[in-house]
Amino acid sequence: MAFRVLIVDDSPTMRAFVRRVLEMSGFDVSTCHQAGNGAEAMAVLAGHAVDVVLTDINMPEVNGEELVGRIEQDERLRSIPVVVVSTDATANRMRRMMELGAKGYVIKPFSPEVLRQELERVLGVSHA
Amino acid sequence: MPEMSINQVLTAATTDVLETMFFTPVMGDTAAASASGDLLAARLDFSGGLTGTLAVQVTMPAAREIAANFIGGETDQPHADAVGDVIAELANMVCGSVLSHLDGEAHFDLTHPRLIDPLSAASPQSASRTLEIEGGEVTLFLYLDKKP
Repeated sequence: MAFRVLIVDDSPTMRAFVRRVLEMSGFDVSTCHQAGNGAEAMAVLAGHAVDVVLTDINMPEVNGEELVGRIEQDERLRSIPVVVVSTDATANRMRRMMELGAKGYVIKPFSPEVLRQELERVLGVSHA
Repeated sequence: MPEMSINQVLTAATTDVLETMFFTPVMGDTAAASASGDLLAARLDFSGGLTGTLAVQVTMPAAREIAANFIGGETDQPHADAVGDVIAELANMVCGSVLSHLDGEAHFDLTHPRLIDPLSAASPQSASRTLEIEGGEVTLFLYLDKKP
């Protein structure tokens, strides 16, 4: 099964890297949307069906915390799992993001396998 | 297990980041030496459980190598802007990894990494370490307002 992914990060280089790692990992992606912050991500979600969101935390305008909160508060979007991708490995931050509604958390640096496993976990699928 | 020294933390964190996220093997590490030639550097500040600054200074051929490995594809010679973005992202990831090694429980706020004059990366009070990679060197400078 192929998945529609939304990558949210203010760095175009980082977005390209996450997309590349998804390809390397063997995770089956049918469509890969991108957004530079939470506001752009909400615009993408308003117009496109997405299966999973991968988001950074520190971004201008609408950051990752606000994005997770907005998705969680929107009945149409609440079922879309959000996986946080961040350098912040502190327990407090991870707990905070999970309390807001994130379903997964991947700490940079991460390997392609770690990213794939976390996506499969939140989507409830196993790797073929 | 004995606590790691700051130099050991710099080496371990940077090696982990370079090898895992930038697909760039580290061949060795030394005390930081005076850099020469074309250089690229990025710095960010952090506050919270610890307060200070982390800077990354990379020799230009090594910066291009890291950027090409990170971006992937057919790009042997990535655009200069992309090389700068990648080195800024390297500084961001190394800083996050160093801080989680030093205090995994504390909350930290990190500023956005910015490119700086490479010769301003070092300060006399900084802990520093140089890692050797294909094409050149990566040097880390960590300044802490108070040592952990």
